[in-house]
Amino acid sequence: MGISRPALGLYLTATYPSTRRFLEVLDKVRDAEVDFLEVGIPTRNPKYDGPVIRMAHRGAELMGLDAVKAVDDYSKYSRVPVLMGYVSDYLNSLNDVAKVAKDVGAATVLFPDLIFDYPELIGKYVEVMRSNGLALSFFISSKTPYRLIRSLSELKPLFIYLGLYAATGIKLPIYIEQNVATIRGIVGDSFLVVGFAINSPDMVRSLIKAGADGVVVGSAFIQRISDLNDALSFLKWLRGGLHE
Amino acid sequence: MSNVPTHWYNIAVDLPKPLPPPMDPYDGESRIGLLNRIMPSELLHQEFTSLMYVPIPDEVREIYVRLGRPTPLRRARGLERLIGNGVKVYYKFEGALPGGSHKLNTAVPQVYYAFKDGAKEVATETGAGQWGLAVSIAAALIGIRAVVFMTKSSYLSKRQRVMFMRTYGATVYPSPSEVTKYGVEAIKANPNHPGSLGLAISEAIDYVLQGEGRKYIPGSVLEFVLMHQTVIGQEAISQIPEEPDLVVGCVGGGSNFAGLTYPFIGAKLRGEGFEGTRFLAVESKAAPKLTQGRYEYDFPDSGGLLPMIRMLTLGHDYVPPPSHAAGLRYHGAAPSLSLLVKEGIVETRAYTQEEALEAGVLFARSEGIIPAPESSHAIRAVIDEAKKMPKGSVILFNLSGHGLLDPDAYERVNAP
Ligand SMILES: Cc1ncc(COP(=O)(O)O)c(C=O)c1O
Repeated sequence: MGISRPALGLYLTATYPSTRRFLEVLDKVRDAEVDFLEVGIPTRNPKYDGPVIRMAHRGAELMGLDAVKAVDDYSKYSRVPVLMGYVSDYLNSLNDVAKVAKDVGAATVLFPDLIFDYPELIGKYVEVMRSNGLALSFFISSKTPYRLIRSLSELKPLFIYLGLYAATGIKLPIYIEQNVATIRGIVGDSFLVVGFAINSPDMVRSLIKAGADGVVVGSAFIQRISDLNDALSFLKWLRGGLHE
Repeated sequence: MSNVPTHWYNIAVDLPKPLPPPMDPYDGESRIGLLNRIMPSELLHQEFTSLMYVPIPDEVREIYVRLGRPTPLRRARGLERLIGNGVKVYYKFEGALPGGSHKLNTAVPQVYYAFKDGAKEVATETGAGQWGLAVSIAAALIGIRAVVFMTKSSYLSKRQRVMFMRTYGATVYPSPSEVTKYGVEAIKANPNHPGSLGLAISEAIDYVLQGEGRKYIPGSVLEFVLMHQTVIGQEAISQIPEEPDLVVGCVGGGSNFAGLTYPFIGAKLRGEGFEGTRFLAVESKAAPKLTQGRYEYDFPDSGGLLPMIRMLTLGHDYVPPPSHAAGLRYHGAAPSLSLLVKEGIVETRAYTQEEALEAGVLFARSEGIIPAPESSHAIRAVIDEAKKMPKGSVILFNLSGHGLLDPDAYERVNAP
């Protein structure tokens, strides 16, 4: 299944700004050929999201898994579709999320708060993903313990996602390339996705050069979503950074 | 210079579980975004670094040496005799630095990075005034202005520290003050407000936002502060002739405790030694977050200007009763320390100031050094623990400061 290297991914919150518009965006995204697509499950508590994506969660037409189910097969729109949700919303229904993910053609479910707030659920997560025929994926921060990163890599996830900043869409003066290079050295040959606040091909280029296999854009795309042509040419512009 | 550490140690990457990231509340402006405006940029990088060892700039190391690093590691033979059961006690004497406490270890790099960013002024909070004094010294040496918001109860009781901060050229306001809206609101709500570190932080940040060329620098709690303090423990590891069975420090926000213990704890977590060593964090009963706090996301400051962090906390609006150990009057404990407590790697203990000062007097009479009231909490725990340990056991503790500028505390306990 794997994701091609180097990869550009796109994050969208399901049914934002409306179900109809979300479907329109997906149609266009198919032609833009993003290498992977992350579909956010709308929630009332988007903990690690910055203002733009928080707004997208608030503004989604449907909430939770109902929003995800607005599309019957995401693999029509991207080679590797991925669901992304907060595990705090699904503590007792992990299996339901996995089932829906399988039904809508997603490859895995990424829970950004799993290792931080519910490390005791990692084993359960692995079991549920596997028993539903889904791949694993893990979200880490720059300060995640090396030993934990190594043990997550050993589980052969589809990818490990490094959040570059403290929240989506908000840049801070952080040496992100240094952090990517350090983490690259720890994840071994796991596919390393990086994201949060990516908004230029130069940034994409230097992150790939530092050792990322893939980059994800979210806030910067969603900000442009009211003008789809603008949003798509932005995506194309970013893609330019993938190659030297 | 060669025996001063070349790097700071970042324990986050060795922890048994990951540190939950800082988080914005669901209302109002992004506090994470606000950090860009208020804090020196290098500090933000350090707060999120993936490096295990962060290089100390040469300029900072040079100042460390000029100010007296490495600090002495001493055997407390007098205290040992007093305890009398053959337990050995060592202490790292951070009070030997010119400010009288460990606070210079992070004041120097923080002021240095603010200066590198072009700041003309740094603003901060202080409780007992140890941190404010350290910032005043660092600012004087590096050549920028320091503005200090000092909790009112200590501003009134520790006049000498206020005076010496001014001697170094700092501007000092009692907090709550009239110069920020948080201060004005607090005074309106309670004209006799004793101040709190949480409130003083909000005032310092508000002050920074009111003008150009100002940066806010914090005295404890944030992870880079703890990291800067690890010079203490790295030196101690190379100085101590035998492996300690117990390492003890007091906790306000956690910086001197982390500074001494983290290099030991890190080695233990990596399986590189100190397997049998215990670690004990000692707090004040006036602010018992380690023993009674909840582990949750909370603001580090009472005004809620900083992003929320997951920590053991009594709530950001908790106003601790006035205490002579003003440096321990803080509602939360640094995220990494909170996690280590949660995981059972660090043990905890709370004492009243009377219990602590009694031990401080014993230490003064047996070792010749008047300890800071904060550090006296650690000493109390050392004495109590030593009594329960077998002959030949080894204890190391952090004498985070001397108490020569805390006469208000000792006045009360002096026997006639
Ligand atoms: C001498 C001394 N020790 C300890 C502390 C407590 O702070 P921390 O826990 O950050 O070391 C203070 C704070 O002002 C202090 O002045």
